[in-house]
Amino acid sequence: MALINVAAKEIHGKIVYYGPGLSGKTTNLQYIHSRIPSTTKGDLLSIATETERTLFFDFLPLDLGKVHGFTIRFHLYTVPGQVLYERTRVAVLNGADGVVFVADAQRDRLADNLQSLRELAQNLTTQGKRFLDYPIVMQYNKMDMPDALPTPVLDRYLNTIKAPRFEAVAPEGKGVFETLRAVSKLVVNKL
Amino acid sequence: MYEFDPDLSNLRVTEEDTAQISACLQRLLADTGASYTMVVDRSGQILAYESDGLRPEMTHLGALLAATYASTQEIARILNEDSFRTLLQEGLREKIITETVANHWLLVIIFDQQAHLGLIKVLAKRTTSILGNVLEVAQSRPVSENSGFSRRMLQATTDTIDLVFSDDEAKDRDEEND
Repeated sequence: MALINVAAKEIHGKIVYYGPGLSGKTTNLQYIHSRIPSTTKGDLLSIATETERTLFFDFLPLDLGKVHGFTIRFHLYTVPGQVLYERTRVAVLNGADGVVFVADAQRDRLADNLQSLRELAQNLTTQGKRFLDYPIVMQYNKMDMPDALPTPVLDRYLNTIKAPRFEAVAPEGKGVFETLRAVSKLVVNKL
Repeated sequence: MYEFDPDLSNLRVTEEDTAQISACLQRLLADTGASYTMVVDRSGQILAYESDGLRPEMTHLGALLAATYASTQEIARILNEDSFRTLLQEGLREKIITETVANHWLLVIIFDQQAHLGLIKVLAKRTTSILGNVLEVAQSRPVSENSGFSRRMLQATTDTIDLVFSDDEAKDRDEEND
């Protein structure tokens, strides 16, 4: 839930990057952190395993500055993608105002994407949210891989809700900020 | 005027709420000798905090403490407990007590060896009860009272998002590739 603190003149929103393991959620946050001005960002916090896989979450606070006297803040989180950590994903998703679903565009990951997307829908529904009305942006990552599925195919399987979607190559930054802008706008439009 | 979506924006903390919460936290600090105290929601966002001067990186602390609490609730679920309502973390110098406030928030108290754990536990319970009343009133206000995001502000925020969340280097690179 977004928090509007009238006394402190602050608005906080929480955005969660969701998706199957190794789809590039952490890479999105790392790229944002590497490119955004230092006045806008806090430290990127990662709770990861020894092999650099996300164990709990990554966290990146962003501060847009003042708009009409209110400070607008977004907190970006990633969930751990591995199937094992389903309950951890539920915890991180709690109170989210918007979600970026980071799909791995490679052909052999389609089933993993579908499973993760179904789980997201179920978790949001359990938290009392209407999945179809919820601020979600799709990101098709790894579009530079030779076996990446074409966008229309990914649309057909993954984006039946017709959410805004972006092709991405996260390590190069392609699509990363477009995705962030889109989900941020969806969140503020719900305020 | 837009209305805040009840599913998303169901907490608007007014100046009066903030004054009550702050007074509560200040009294807790004064009575216990704790170093910091804060109220954080379960999604990790800090509603209010008070400290005796020095201030750690609060934003990250809020996210981590909410995550720790969430993780502990999963442990409770596995053990068929309703919940663990109090968490205690002990370090060599600092200790942290986290108490649930109503169903949506957490009261966090950070204190050193000078403060007395038993006293803190007792006063924390009393404080959670007062805070719970204040926050539940805030949350139960009708949605119409939560209106406040004007069309102009929405446009200004959207423009700011475009400005701040831009990636000039990537744009330059794309133009070079073209």
